[in-house]
Amino acid sequence: MNALQVQGITVTRGAGPVIRDVGFTLEPGRITALVGPNGAGKTSLLEAISGVVPAARGSVRIGSTEITKHSRVARAKLGLAHIEQGRAVFPGLTVLENLKLTARTWPRVEEVLALFPELDKRRNSPTALLSGGEQQMVVLARAFAARPKFLLIDEMSLGLAPVVFTRLLPMVTRFASEGAAILLVEQFTHLALGVSQDAIVVSSGRVTYQGSAQDLLAAPETLHSAYLGE
Amino acid sequence: MLQGALAGLAAGGLYAVLAVCLTLMSRLVRVVNFAQSATGMFGCYVAVWLSVHVGLPTWAATVVGIVLGGGLSALLGWIISTWLAEADIGTRSAVTVAVLLLLISLSFILFGNKPQPFHPILDGPAFSVNGVVVSQVTVVTVVLSVVIALGCRALLTKTSFGLELRALSERPTTAELMGIPAKPLAVAVWAATGLLSTLVISIVAPSQSNDATSLSMLVVPASAAALLGGFRRLDLAVVGGLVLGMAQGAVAQVDSLSVVRYFLPFLVIVGLLLWSQRKEVWDVAR
Repeated sequence: MNALQVQGITVTRGAGPVIRDVGFTLEPGRITALVGPNGAGKTSLLEAISGVVPAARGSVRIGSTEITKHSRVARAKLGLAHIEQGRAVFPGLTVLENLKLTARTWPRVEEVLALFPELDKRRNSPTALLSGGEQQMVVLARAFAARPKFLLIDEMSLGLAPVVFTRLLPMVTRFASEGAAILLVEQFTHLALGVSQDAIVVSSGRVTYQGSAQDLLAAPETLHSAYLGE
Repeated sequence: MLQGALAGLAAGGLYAVLAVCLTLMSRLVRVVNFAQSATGMFGCYVAVWLSVHVGLPTWAATVVGIVLGGGLSALLGWIISTWLAEADIGTRSAVTVAVLLLLISLSFILFGNKPQPFHPILDGPAFSVNGVVVSQVTVVTVVLSVVIALGCRALLTKTSFGLELRALSERPTTAELMGIPAKPLAVAVWAATGLLSTLVISIVAPSQSNDATSLSMLVVPASAAALLGGFRRLDLAVVGGLVLGMAQGAVAQVDSLSVVRYFLPFLVIVGLLLWSQRKEVWDVAR
């Protein structure tokens, strides 16, 4: 399977760049934790990769295909999925309808629902009526149903109790074990690093650490200085 | 009174179809399309011109007009989807006001400011109720409004195309990130509502005031009907359109009140807006 390569990406919002000259590669079957302080530019980086915002400079490639100028739809068709910050459910649609949007076949819907028994029980409920944790499960399940090759996850834990978040993390690991490359942006740094093989720390729009997630987890001082951009 | 009410049903069916179109536009592509009936008017005027000056048979000219109405609407949808994709509903709707004025002006320039010599597509009575004749136009427009509303509801709830449209209307960016093509779907909605508006206007225009301004301003009673359903519910939009048409027809029968029929849509709009704000007023009072 191809890798997703980000090379020299710069993203500008308003007056100046919020991401400067960032590059990394997402390999199939591996989880990469992208961590950093608030306002470091993590969300902007994900949005530039998926095409929500344009990149001012640099390139994004899937294998040998340059996708920097591709539309969001074209990127999605190449296997790139982006779970946005917050609970990006379609509130007027039921759980089943949310899943049908990405699962091309009925067996795939059932397969995904089997992974989330909580959702299976409420399959015909409008997602607006679900709890925050259940809504985030819908978003995750919907992404899984599409079988993307590359999955960008932005702050999945936002607004959720840690216990709910820890229930969702094994699903991310499972999905990576099926061959997907995952970029995980997370405020619960230690939990994210705990399930990741690779780590990137960004601070003020620049990469301050790039390497093994376990090394970073084992050396808190490195993590601390990377957060401070040292 | 009954005769007036039944006579008003043809206009009511027209309002209902236009209200369904407005509701679909508001729900699915986040626009209150003030040019909804103006695109229909322009398509119909071109059809009349083709029929009178080029000698095209009425049916062929009407088909060309309907396709043109749909095409104009699709072009406007393409422009808005391309350059105002991220704009709010107010900005997107404001553009349609400009198009409304543009189409009225263009029709004055191209076709003059007099009513056009429409050839009726449907003519004659369908049946009588207590001696009151119900025309074919009335039957067709009422049936058309109900069929279109039911068809749209089925499309939105039973098909994958409808599911994608509903997703797009709720979270456009998220839908695009999932590979749902926003622009082609939005343009399809614009085109379909343009086709329907032109079709229904071409049926009813020969029996109504059919100058450019009157036809373009049909968007006002249609908006009143759509407002009854909160620009969300197709069934209430149809009911609103039919009831408004009947009420206008009934009022027209009373000499002392006949002039009120022109203001009725405005009164309905004001009344519904005040009614929709009652909760906020109550909350503030508490």
